[in-house]
Amino acid sequence: MSKVYDYLVIGAGPAGMAAAIEASNAGLCVLVLDQAENAGGQIYRNLGQVGIQQARVLGPDYLVGKPLLAEFMAANCDYQPMAQLWHIEAHEKGFLVVALVHGESITYVTSHLLLANGAMERPMAIPGWHKPGVMTAGAGQILLKTAALLPKQVVLAGSGPLLLLLAQQYRAAGVIITALLDTTPKSNYWYATPWLMAGLTTPKQLLKGLWLTLVQRIKTPYITGVSGIEVLGEECVTGVSYTVAGKVYDIDCNLIMLHQGLIPETQMGQLLGCTQVWSENQQCWQARVAVAGQTSVPGLQIAGDAGTIGGAYVAQFNGRLAGIVRANSGVATLSLQKRLLTLWLCLRVKQLHWARGLVDRLYRPADWLSEPSSDTIICRCEQVTAGAVTAIASRGCAGVNQLKAYTRAGMGACQGRQCGLNLAYLVAHAQQRPVSKVEPLTVRPPLSPINLGQLSRQTEL
Amino acid sequence: MTDLLFSCLLKDSPMCPITVNGVEHQVPARLSVAAALLYLGNLAIRKHPVSSEARAPFCYMGVCFECLVIIDGQHKQRACLREVMPHMCIETAMVGVNP
Ligand SMILES: Cc1cc2nc3c(=O)[nH]c(=O)nc-3n(C[C@H](O)[C@H](O)[C@H](O)COP(=O)(O)OP(=O)(O)OC[C@H]3O[C@@H](n4cnc5c(N)ncnc54)[C@H](O)[C@@H]3O)c2cc1C
Ligand code: FES
Repeated sequence: MSKVYDYLVIGAGPAGMAAAIEASNAGLCVLVLDQAENAGGQIYRNLGQVGIQQARVLGPDYLVGKPLLAEFMAANCDYQPMAQLWHIEAHEKGFLVVALVHGESITYVTSHLLLANGAMERPMAIPGWHKPGVMTAGAGQILLKTAALLPKQVVLAGSGPLLLLLAQQYRAAGVIITALLDTTPKSNYWYATPWLMAGLTTPKQLLKGLWLTLVQRIKTPYITGVSGIEVLGEECVTGVSYTVAGKVYDIDCNLIMLHQGLIPETQMGQLLGCTQVWSENQQCWQARVAVAGQTSVPGLQIAGDAGTIGGAYVAQFNGRLAGIVRANSGVATLSLQKRLLTLWLCLRVKQLHWARGLVDRLYRPADWLSEPSSDTIICRCEQVTAGAVTAIASRGCAGVNQLKAYTRAGMGACQGRQCGLNLAYLVAHAQQRPVSKVEPLTVRPPLSPINLGQLSRQTEL
Repeated sequence: MTDLLFSCLLKDSPMCPITVNGVEHQVPARLSVAAALLYLGNLAIRKHPVSSEARAPFCYMGVCFECLVIIDGQHKQRACLREVMPHMCIETAMVGVNP
């Protein structure tokens, strides 16, 4: 008979850590699984281990996570790092979660499950993005946080706060930024104006954002209104070309980092049958989630960026709320103090999500990115081009899932994480219907590749 | 091997011996395998099974599956999610079999 946890949390980022702290403080038997080597999630990645030099470069918003990390490490919950989750399903006792830990497949059973597995970067499919020498801005930051690896020289391209933050961190470390190609459409500034009201409810963050933008504009070769970015080079990157106001420019470079905002990692929720909805604000699918993380599947919660992109603070509040609600499910009377805390957290989460609307509208991806040229690789795993996808889509295939059968797009190892959204845009364009009406790629087990040797070494906990 | 595109801030951290395609190297301990390969100057680490084009890790966070290598005989390991261990044996697929 395997052990049944009261609460299994996937992801030890701000959301997962906060939820685990609350639930274990309330006496629940909690397990946290994370595929990374250290707790902290994307924002506080490696925070417990970084050297002084790295910390200086990464800035104050990074170090602010220390108390949360310390509280999590001291909490009375089980924590398994380097656990690569590869399967998840409903079970008579709740949920069954299977992860690879040091090459061995371990099965966990839990009555309640929280997905706090965070976000990924929106895939920015441009010609040549599959070449060595192209990586995401997030990758650049992860290399800095976990390995103190810095490029000598780099071109940054795309849009969004993380790109500006990386520029700031790289400059502080003495990296030469050859160019910062900003793809934010100028019209976004106009469309975002009504959202200023929302942004003003978090004045400190608004000022910080403004400052970050201004400083990069002054201190880096900052080029606005960029479109038509293409990566040049045969085997490896040798340069990048782009268009501004109808004129094409080239720059030499060996390394280019792309960013186009974040989208929630929805695959686990999808596998469990969570209802997905299209978010017009964030231009992606998201699970339908209530304020304390409840989903359409009983016993399953989603918190933090895995639900809606909100950033570190909201993830932490959202996680705390999810943990408290889980710990008190079935408890008729909540203490007054807990009730007030819950109310306050609910309000904060709602307010911060609303305030985020400004960032979402301002950095909404440019339209040209959703209509890549026909030779652009869309599905990196199966090497399928946009042209091939459009050809099938315009012949009237039902949607992305049927397209998969014809083109193999979405069938590779990444399970459509890198192509799903762009496939949907292509189908929408070819068939002239809104992308919200194109159903998302279905997810099939396993969530990540697994070999027979690992399967045969199964352990039950 | 390409020119070193990246340099490492960690100057006096403990080193860890690893083997990459049969050759022994020293890399700073606690790096991910993908970061260690980059540290050693390997940008591309596999050939795409369909097109045979060189490919390199893209996301370094487990979502793109561009970093698959063979680690201690185990195929299809995401190099960005595994930490280097002393005497770890890593095979990249720039030549020969694909992981
Ligand atoms: C690359 C990247 C860099 C970022 N950098 C910053 C930054 O510098 N500043 C900032 O304010 N915001 C940053 N963000 C935004 C960030 O998402 C939020 O600020 C915040 O970290 C969200 O917290 P979270 O707890 O919801 O998720 P996360 O912090 O993303 O935590 C999710 C955790 O789940 C784990 N996980 C994911 N999938 C699996 C799986 N299949 N199995 C097991 N574990 C899994 C991950 O390892 C991770 O530790 C970044 C986001 C990304 C993607
Ligand atoms: S680099 Fe993307 S999965 Fe490892």
